[in-house]
Amino acid sequence: MVLRIRLARFGNKHTPFYNIVVAQARSARGAKPLEVIGTYNPIPKRPTNLYDGNAQARPYKEVALDRARAQYWLGVGAQPSDPVWKLMTMAGLVEPKPTTFHKA
Amino acid sequence: MAPRIQPQRVSNALLPYLTSSTSSSTSSITPTSTPLSSPILSRQFSVTPAPQTRLRRQMFLWLTTKGAALKHHTPGETNYLTGRDKDDKSGGNPRPFPGNSSFLSESVLSEELRNEIYVRVVEKKKSVRAVSVEFGVDMKRIAAVVRLVELERRQRAQGKPLALPYARAVHEMVPTTPLAQEGEHPVYHESINDLPAHPSTGAQIFYPVPESRSFNRVDAGRVFSGAPALEIDVAAKISHPSDLIDDIVQNPNSIEWVGKGGNARQVLQPADVRIPHPQLVQLERDRKAFPNERRTVTERHNERLKKQEEAEQKRREVAQARREKSVQHVEPEGGRFNYRIQDAKFTKETVGVDGRAPWAPGRRYGIPADDRKRGIVKIPTRVEA
Repeated sequence: MVLRIRLARFGNKHTPFYNIVVAQARSARGAKPLEVIGTYNPIPKRPTNLYDGNAQARPYKEVALDRARAQYWLGVGAQPSDPVWKLMTMAGLVEPKPTTFHKA
Repeated sequence: MAPRIQPQRVSNALLPYLTSSTSSSTSSITPTSTPLSSPILSRQFSVTPAPQTRLRRQMFLWLTTKGAALKHHTPGETNYLTGRDKDDKSGGNPRPFPGNSSFLSESVLSEELRNEIYVRVVEKKKSVRAVSVEFGVDMKRIAAVVRLVELERRQRAQGKPLALPYARAVHEMVPTTPLAQEGEHPVYHESINDLPAHPSTGAQIFYPVPESRSFNRVDAGRVFSGAPALEIDVAAKISHPSDLIDDIVQNPNSIEWVGKGGNARQVLQPADVRIPHPQLVQLERDRKAFPNERRTVTERHNERLKKQEEAEQKRREVAQARREKSVQHVEPEGGRFNYRIQDAKFTKETVGVDGRAPWAPGRRYGIPADDRKRGIVKIPTRVEA
C-alpha cells in the first residue's frame, strides 16, 4: 500500500493546526500515523519587534520539520500530498511539483 | 414586547455637566420648533423614564456645590476628589481616594524625561542599565519607553493622528517626574533595585549553626534551596556575598543545581546577586572602603559595568545565532506570507518511547487536549521575536 506524507488536522474550530505525518494512504485522517515528522501552523503570525528597517515585514507561517526523517521516507517511496509537497519544496527537499499549466 | 413609551418629557439635567460648554445643551440639541406633542423626538438618549430618586437628587446637588470646583483643573496640580491638600505641596494632593488615605498616586514620566531616555539609549547608544541608574527608572520601564517613543515617531512619520490634547490634559492632572536641568540634582523616578520575595524563602527552617562558624546570606540561600553547605575552603574565599557578583554576572550558567529530575533547581543566590543592579552594591562598598579615591572607584565601577555589558551582549548574540541556525526563512515570490521552517527532531529522546511525551513537538494522538479545562492559563507569557 502507498505511504503518504500528509497533513493531519488538529486544533479547534477556526484554529487549524496540522501535524505532518507519514501514514498509509487509505488510513483515516485522524488515525494514528506511522510517524509524526513535523508540524504546520497555517495561521499567519505577525512579526514582533518591528523597527523602521523591517516595518514592512510580511506575516509568517510556522513550519517544523524533521529533515532527516522526511528525506528517509521520501527515499523509500513515500508520496507527499500536494500541500506537503509545497512545504517540502520550500524546505528544499523536493523539486517543485510539475504543473500542467504555465503562468503567462 | 415593544418598549413602553411614557408621554411625559424627560429632563436631561446631567447633560450640561457632561459637556464642557456652559450653554444648555438640551436646548441646542432639541430644536425649539419641535412641538412637545411628539415626545419621541424630544428625548435624545433613552426612552425609559428617569425618575428623580433621592440618590439622583444628591448627585445633582453635589455637582452644583462641591463637585463644581472639580470641573476645571489647575495645570500642574492634581484634580482628585480629596481636594487640595492642607500642607499644599507643589504637585497638589497626591491622594485620589477619600476613603483610602494611605494610597498615594505615583508620578509618571514627563514628556522631556521620556524623550531624553530615548535619546540616550537610541541615539547616544548608552546601555539600558546605565540610563536606568542615571535617571532612577526601572530597566523594564526604560525598555518600554524606547519601544513606545519609537512607535510614536513612526506614527508621526506616517502622518497618523496622535491624541495630543488628551496626553496634555492627563499630564497636567497627574504628578510627573521632571527632567533635571544642567547642574540640578536629578530627580529619581522610582526605586530601581527592588527584589520580589523569592517563594523558597518563605519556609521557616530551624537550622542550627555552631557559633564558631560564619553564616551569611550565601549560606542561607543554600539552606533554603536544600543544597549541602559549602566546603570550608570555598566558603573562606567569600568575604562578602557581593564577591560572587562578578562570576555569576559573567557566567549565569555557573550557578550550581540541586535535586533530580523535575525537582532540579538552581541554588538560591544571595540578594546581592539577584537584584537588578548588583554592581551598585560593589560601588557602594568601594566608596566606603576608599573614601578618598573617588576617581579610582568610579573607574573601577565603569570597568565592571562595561565588562558586564559585554558579557550580556555576547550571550545574547550566541543565543540568537543558535536560534537562527535552526530556522530557515523562506519568502515566496508573489505570496502574502513568509515561512519559517524550524528544524525539529522527532526521535525517541524528543517525543518519548511511545511518541506521546508531553514536551514533544506537534499535537499528540490519544491524549486529550486540556486547553478548555478550568484553570489552564492560555494568556501568552512570552513574546517570540
